Amino acid sequence: MHLFKRLFSVIPVVFGVLLLTFLLIHLVPGDPVEVMLGESASTSDSETLREELGLNQPLVVQFGHYLNKLAHGDLGQSIHTKTPITELIKARYPATVQLAVVALCLGVLIGVPMGIYAALHAGHWQDFVITLISVRLSAMPAFWLGPLLMLLFAVWLGWLPVSGMDHHASIILPALTLGFGLSAILTRMTRTSLLEVLNDDYIRTARAKGLSERTVILRHALRAALLPIITIVGLQMGSLLAGTVITETIFSWDGIGRLLVESIEKRDYPVTQACVLIVALSYVLINLVTDIVYQVADPRMRHA
Amino acid sequence: MARTFALTILIFWLGAVLLARLLDIHGNAIDLQHILASPSLRYWFGSDDLGRDILARVLRGAEISIMVAIVVTIINMLIGVTIGLLAGFFGGKLDRLLMQITDVFLAFPGILLAIAFAAVLGPGMLNLVFALCLTGWVSYARLTRGQTLSLRNRQHVQAAESLGATPYRLMSRHILPLLTSLLMVEATYSLASIMIAEASLSFLGLGIQAPNASWGAMLRDGVRYMLVAPHYVLIVGLSLMSLILAINLGGDYLRDKLDVRTA
Repeated sequence: MHLFKRLFSVIPVVFGVLLLTFLLIHLVPGDPVEVMLGESASTSDSETLREELGLNQPLVVQFGHYLNKLAHGDLGQSIHTKTPITELIKARYPATVQLAVVALCLGVLIGVPMGIYAALHAGHWQDFVITLISVRLSAMPAFWLGPLLMLLFAVWLGWLPVSGMDHHASIILPALTLGFGLSAILTRMTRTSLLEVLNDDYIRTARAKGLSERTVILRHALRAALLPIITIVGLQMGSLLAGTVITETIFSWDGIGRLLVESIEKRDYPVTQACVLIVALSYVLINLVTDIVYQVADPRMRHA
Repeated sequence: MARTFALTILIFWLGAVLLARLLDIHGNAIDLQHILASPSLRYWFGSDDLGRDILARVLRGAEISIMVAIVVTIINMLIGVTIGLLAGFFGGKLDRLLMQITDVFLAFPGILLAIAFAAVLGPGMLNLVFALCLTGWVSYARLTRGQTLSLRNRQHVQAAESLGATPYRLMSRHILPLLTSLLMVEATYSLASIMIAEASLSFLGLGIQAPNASWGAMLRDGVRYMLVAPHYVLIVGLSLMSLILAINLGGDYLRDKLDVRTA
């Protein structure tokens, strides 16, 4: 029942997202056509574009057309290259997903073990150092962490490519930049959840059964920490997706974030609009999936 | 210890910014003889790609960044708190409508919506502030609404209501004062996050425009010249992070001091 409710709750949000992205182009000060084409554009060009974007019609009609086109998988076309935007997105989206997934994996692979390590050394200096790093440095924005990693690993040490996508290893630095914040949050989360359960009776029982410490931690204690981790990962996907805009720009990673920035620079607003829409819808979808996974992972939540 | 540290950094930055103002250091003087110079006695922080003094520009950038953060925070708080109070106090249809709207804004991840607004509005300080306000009020609205919902049924509010107090009086005199410490802590943290957002937008070329100094734009230039002048990006980045860290530590201090539970 809750599942259906959750599914339906997405509808007004998606509608709102569509409305807001549709209205974006109308926020352009003055005449959007003139802004996009430049003042030197001929009247016939302007008129064609105006016609194409349907800017002559009443707002409600425009929105109707916008929804109708979207429903047919048509995102319009780029003003400058006339390429259908769906093609641009199709070409760029996989790179962003790839980057986000690798960032996510790095975040989990770094964050969770660090959290376990900190919890097992609670009160010792190792815990202190890890906590300090994860609390204080989690706010490092991509435009600062990215150049720092680039300087260290690409320029000074020369271990990894500076930017671009030519090499398999090219993904490491942007993914680290993107996944860093997540790993810091996961470290704290894992540490707290583990510390909470380590003194529980069932852990004592597991130890008393003579299970190895490894099994106790990984199979028994960590299980309880799984739910907060799923939640955090789901919640953090948003900042991860938004972070791709700057990270991709820094590392010349040809994903949708960079497409967005390029379209802004060229004032190709239909492309900007489409990128924003796609990222926002991805985020809504991820949140939905997180909620569902959450319920599947924890039977207690199904009746909540 | 952390408190003294945070306070020292904050006072240092505010003092330095004020001093730069008083001495009328603007950092716009171009010196093509000394482009991308390393730190020296003449240029303590080195010079940028046009031979401008990085120290002076960092200070100007700090001033602009702090100003923008303060202005945006105040506006966001006014809008968000008003909406949150109305939604939480009156409940019903109004609440549902207002929360539906905030949900739509929250459906855009992180800074994406601010980027989109800034992009269509065009670059410039005013548009930057506008873009950050359009997206930043949401967290205050949610926070205030949640608190108002629970405070609404407190006895002192009900007592005042039965004595005939108007909704405006109830909200402004009986609910809002109980929210001040929570809002102050939230505002402190949001100063830091708005400075980061402003720098992100300027980094993408959407914020403050040349020749005005801005940390985001300086970082972008720093990245561009990273191979020949790594000090540029390092100095600007460290400046930004020290200020952000100090503000966040200040927020932690306020939170503990005012005994506020944050989610």
